[in-house]
Amino acid sequence: MLKWYEQIVPDGDVVISSRVRLARNLEDYRFSPLLDESEAVRLVDEVKKLTPSLAQQDKRKYYACNIKSLNDIDKIAMVERHIVSPLLIEKDQTTGLILSEDETVSIMINEEDHVRLQAIIGGLNLEKAYEVASRIDDIAYEKLKFAYDEKYGYMTSCPTNTGTGMRASCMVFLPALSSARMIQRLIEEVGRYGVTIRGIYGEGTKSLGNIYQISNQKTLGNSEREIIENLRRIVEQVMKQERRRREYMLSLNSEEIEDQVYRAYGILKYARQITSDDAMNFLSQLKFGADCGLIKFDREFNVHRMMMGVQPGSLQWTLGKNVGSNSRDQSRAEYIRKELPTII
Amino acid sequence: MLCDRCQIRDAKILYTEIINGVKTEQHLCEECATDYTSFQMEKPLLNSDMTLNSLLSNLLGAYQTSSAKRPGEGRQTIVCERCKTSYDDFLQRGRFGCAQCYRSFHKELGKTLRGIQGAEAHTGKRPKGFVSATDGLLKDLTKEEKLTLELQKAIENEEYEEAARLRDLIKELKKEETNNA
Repeated sequence: MLKWYEQIVPDGDVVISSRVRLARNLEDYRFSPLLDESEAVRLVDEVKKLTPSLAQQDKRKYYACNIKSLNDIDKIAMVERHIVSPLLIEKDQTTGLILSEDETVSIMINEEDHVRLQAIIGGLNLEKAYEVASRIDDIAYEKLKFAYDEKYGYMTSCPTNTGTGMRASCMVFLPALSSARMIQRLIEEVGRYGVTIRGIYGEGTKSLGNIYQISNQKTLGNSEREIIENLRRIVEQVMKQERRRREYMLSLNSEEIEDQVYRAYGILKYARQITSDDAMNFLSQLKFGADCGLIKFDREFNVHRMMMGVQPGSLQWTLGKNVGSNSRDQSRAEYIRKELPTII
Repeated sequence: MLCDRCQIRDAKILYTEIINGVKTEQHLCEECATDYTSFQMEKPLLNSDMTLNSLLSNLLGAYQTSSAKRPGEGRQTIVCERCKTSYDDFLQRGRFGCAQCYRSFHKELGKTLRGIQGAEAHTGKRPKGFVSATDGLLKDLTKEEKLTLELQKAIENEEYEEAARLRDLIKELKKEETNNA
C-alpha cells in the first residue's frame, strides 16, 4: 500500500497534504500536564488497547508502541514524516503511539492531551481527512470515555483547543510567493479569517524548502464542517495566488528560472556531499520546475517524498544506522543520486 | 555608542520623553531602560522564552483583570474539587487540570473562552450515543409534549407550513385520546 507521500495527487503543485487532528481526553484521568508517571503508564496501556478494534473496523494494519522503546533515529524520522509531534518524543514521561501501516492515521498518547489522533491525506482533501479522523474518533469512543460536555464540547487541556478539539491544516508549497516576499502579508491577511500560516513542523519552526502549514486558529463556536470549509476556501485562494505569481515570474524571466532549475538538478545529481538545508533548497527548485513543466522526467515521482527522505532522521533511518554529520552529507548525496529520475 | 546613563554598556534603545512639550532624547542600554523608564524588559525580548504558554497565560490574566478582579485579591479563588487546580493556577499555566475544571470554573469561563475563541459554546460534533441532560429530560416527555415543543420551534423559525402540519398532528392525537377515554 502506497503511503500518502508516495502518491501523485491533484493540486500537488501547491498543496502537498491535508491533515486533521482531533484532541481528546479521558474523563477518568487528570489532564496530561498533571499526570504522574504511574498514571501515564496506565493511560498509555489503556489507549493502546484500541489497536485491535481499529485494525478490525478500519480495515488497515495498525501498530502500537511506547515511544520510550524506540531509538532516537526512529523518533526523529517520525517527527520529520509528521507522524508525531516534537513534544511527544521529548517528554520524559511515558508516551505512546498507534500508527496505521500506510501512515495515514496516527494516534499520539499522552502528548498535551491524552489522545491526539490525526489523519493525513495527500493533496487538497480536508474533507476526506476529517472523514477518516472522525471515523477513528467514533471507533475510539466505543472503548474510551472521552470527556465531552454539552456546552463546551470536547474538553482539552488548553483552552485554545476546546470545543471541536480540531486542528485542520494543509501543507503548502509556496516558492513564488516566498520569493516575492509576500508571505508576511499573506499571514496578516489570512489572520483576519481565523487562519494561521507557520513553518513546516508547526509552532515556532522555520520554513524549509518554501513549505508552510496553513491551519485554523479557533476550535469553538463553529462546527467541524464549517471550520474545514472556511480553511479550504482560504487554501484555494492561496493556491490561486501562488499559481498566478508563478505565471508572472515565468513570463518575466523564464530563461533564468529554467537555468536555475537545471542547475539545481545538476547539483542534486552529481554532488558528492550535501547538507539537508542545501538539499531542501535545490529540491524545492526542482519541484517548482517540474510543476511548471520546465523540466520533465522519465517517470512520475513525488519530490516531497525526497524532501522528507533527506532529513537527518529519515536518512539515517533508511541507512539503518547512526552516522555523523560528515558522512551523513555523503550518504544524503548518494540517496539523492539513487532516487532522482532521469531528465527526458 | 555607549548608554547615556551608565556609560558602560552599549545603547540599544532610543528613549524619547515629552513632558509639557519639552522633548528629551536618550540613548539607553536595555538594563537602564528597564530601570529608569516605563520599558518592561526584564529579559531581552527576542531570546527570552516568550512561549505560547506564557503568552496565553498573560492573555488569560488580562481578561481576568479587565473584569476588575485581580487574582487572589478580595475574592475566594475557586478550586476544582477533583484535581485541586485553582482558577488562578489555570490563569497562570494556561492549562486546565482535568475535565472537571471546566465545570468547576464555569462561572468565570464564559468570558475567558469568548476572549480566546470568540465563542462560548460548542456547535460541532457530539459523540455517538452521548446523552446530555436535556436529552434525558426530553426522553420522559409524552409524544404530545414533544410535538408541542417542535411546534414552538417551528413558529420561532417562521416555518409556518411545518407548524400547521404539527398543529394538525397534535389535534389528531388529542382526538384519539378523548376517543380512547
